[in-house]
Amino acid sequence: MAEQGAADPVNNNNNNKPEASEGTIIKVTVKTPKDKEEIAIAEDASVTQFKEEISKRFKAKQDQLVLIFAGKILKDGDSLSQHGIKDGLTVHLVIKTAHKATDGGSTSASSSASTQVGSSSTSSPAANPASTTGPAGSGPAPTQTPNLMSGFGDLANLAGLGMGSANFMELQQQMQRQLMSNPEMLSQIMENPLVQNMMSNPDLMRQMIVANPQMQQLMERNPEISHMLNNPELMRQTMELARNPAMMQEMMRNQDRALSNLESIPGGYNALRRMYTDIQEPMFSAAREQFGNNPFSALGGASDSGVQPSRTENREPLPNPWGPPNSSNPSESGGATTGSTSTSGTTNPSVSNPLGINPGSLGNGMFNSPGMQSLLQQISENPQLMQNMLSAPYMRSMMQSLAQNPELASQVMVNNPLFAGNPQLQEQFRAQLPVFLQQMQNPEALSVMTNPRAMQALMQIQQGLQTLQTEAPGLMPSLMTGGIPGVPTGGAAPAENPASSPSSATTSPAQQQLMQQMLQMFAGGGGGSGGAGSATVHGHTRAEVTSLVCMLCFFVFFVLVLFKSLLAVFLRPRPQRCGSRPS
Amino acid sequence: MAQSNSSFPVKLYIYDLSRGMARQLSPVMLGRQLDGIWHTGVVVHGKEFFFGGAGIDNCPPSGTMLGDPDSVVDLGSTEVNEDLFKVYLDSLAESTYSGDRYNVFEHNCNTFSNDVAQFLTGRKIPSYITDLPSEILSTPFGQALRPLLDSMAINPGGNNITGQR
Repeated sequence: MAEQGAADPVNNNNNNKPEASEGTIIKVTVKTPKDKEEIAIAEDASVTQFKEEISKRFKAKQDQLVLIFAGKILKDGDSLSQHGIKDGLTVHLVIKTAHKATDGGSTSASSSASTQVGSSSTSSPAANPASTTGPAGSGPAPTQTPNLMSGFGDLANLAGLGMGSANFMELQQQMQRQLMSNPEMLSQIMENPLVQNMMSNPDLMRQMIVANPQMQQLMERNPEISHMLNNPELMRQTMELARNPAMMQEMMRNQDRALSNLESIPGGYNALRRMYTDIQEPMFSAAREQFGNNPFSALGGASDSGVQPSRTENREPLPNPWGPPNSSNPSESGGATTGSTSTSGTTNPSVSNPLGINPGSLGNGMFNSPGMQSLLQQISENPQLMQNMLSAPYMRSMMQSLAQNPELASQVMVNNPLFAGNPQLQEQFRAQLPVFLQQMQNPEALSVMTNPRAMQALMQIQQGLQTLQTEAPGLMPSLMTGGIPGVPTGGAAPAENPASSPSSATTSPAQQQLMQQMLQMFAGGGGGSGGAGSATVHGHTRAEVTSLVCMLCFFVFFVLVLFKSLLAVFLRPRPQRCGSRPS
Repeated sequence: MAQSNSSFPVKLYIYDLSRGMARQLSPVMLGRQLDGIWHTGVVVHGKEFFFGGAGIDNCPPSGTMLGDPDSVVDLGSTEVNEDLFKVYLDSLAESTYSGDRYNVFEHNCNTFSNDVAQFLTGRKIPSYITDLPSEILSTPFGQALRPLLDSMAINPGGNNITGQR
């Protein structure tokens, strides 16, 4: 008990009125619903005296004052100490405004009714189920019902959700089922501004993910995941992806492709499998448990075996770039053209022709594809990408193994949905694969790939050719003779190929020279339309340029696809993964 | 004024608004364990009193759409009779507990229950209930949700708004 000295500087009220002999003044807080005041009073004062003070302070009549302390109403005859009112404690005050205290009768009635709660878990004394819900002014019971349903403001949904099924597990199952069965719902959820707000806070998301104990386990076992989570850039990107459903679909498509490619690579399947079991499964189950359908689970581990319903997507990248069947390569027509195929298909890489680009090969059709363009664009904009890609150790080994085993490479190509609808293309690729693969090992070739300006130049070539195609379709036959199909209809292609083959064969050496010139020119920053290759024989020039670019594009595309697969799957280039173990 | 020393039991009804979801999801979403999102009402004189978006409200015990409470705490008993209590509530409703004063974090049903409990019995309600807002707000998730939650008002709907005539 804190006793203050008799001389209280904080004596709000002028006089202490230390009636009692001891005169210890205590400060009691008097609290009304609206107000709170500190009143100094003698410790042993009576309630009456206290009320006097209070009435002065609160400007109310004493008999209007009702003091309550510890659930007890202070009667005038009591003393403060009798109730245990000490310094610093709070006494409640109600100022009655012409209300009279109820007589005992109704109060006892209410007290008996007060505990009529039927289902209360604790035992209630006086369980007198008096029908009175309240003698004095209690609510009208019937009108409760409509308001019950209409109340609850924004929590109505929550209420509906949660209260419908008392069992939380059930609820979760429901949610999960709903989300699974209705992908739209997921996207709707993603579009919800609240969710987006949440997602725009990487720290928050990270914390959420990390806080999941299963996730933590996962992270321990696979430190890459924690790296991933700790990389703010990556998280941000991931979240951008998650927020933007279109991007997400794009990403998932990439991953699908990537995964299907990976499967075909020696050792790749194992790696995939390993990854799946190590990471994805626990991640999935952890995610499912928490969220039912965690949007991040898709990003983190993506699909297995890349079979997901293809959704419509905005960005064109990589639809079938060789839309019309068989670009230049006569091989697809089989038979007679085989010889020329090999001739045209295998132009040995030389110094002047680092890529060994065979003019007789792929065709203009490729350029019409926005996919290729975007590819080229990507490459030119991001030389680092190519460099990374090519310098990744597994890349080399992968290419080597691919080179040794063109079957596999062709399989990769086949599985690639881009080529799925185009068997001729696949044929063509198969034939050319050995060449390409060797080329890929060629450092010269690689350096061209990593040179952004070179890529840009190639792009321009492509654009030029495209323009040319539209502007001067009459040129196409000559291009065709160069072994380039060009026309998207592609119907004429096979017919032309036999015709083209001899010419392509004969033009090889010439083409090489021209190509060299071409390259030099472009390296010099010529740019402009492909035909601007100014050089000699128009037809040959264009053909060669076209084929040059085509080959290069294909090469680029192939490598890019491979790399994207790996990149997408592992979320960042990671050495010593797939490819480091020879199946 | 002759007051009868009648004594009215006072109980605190505690409801989990999240129906168990908070217990499950809070470690993930908030990073800390919250056993529930608590809503409380004080039951005395045969009625349950609570503070919601509409103001001080009362209904028969367990009469809100929340149904039965998840737990009940006995706060003791009070001598304050119904009329006096009503006066008290009226006074509160005009001042600190009018409907527009509702704030889901700072001035919510539990704040009200706490005040009323202290008035009636001198005892406070369990601290885990009154500590809830600060617990939530101390997490980034809570902070992120704050603008949304601030605009929300929980109104279990008793349709007996004190002070509204």
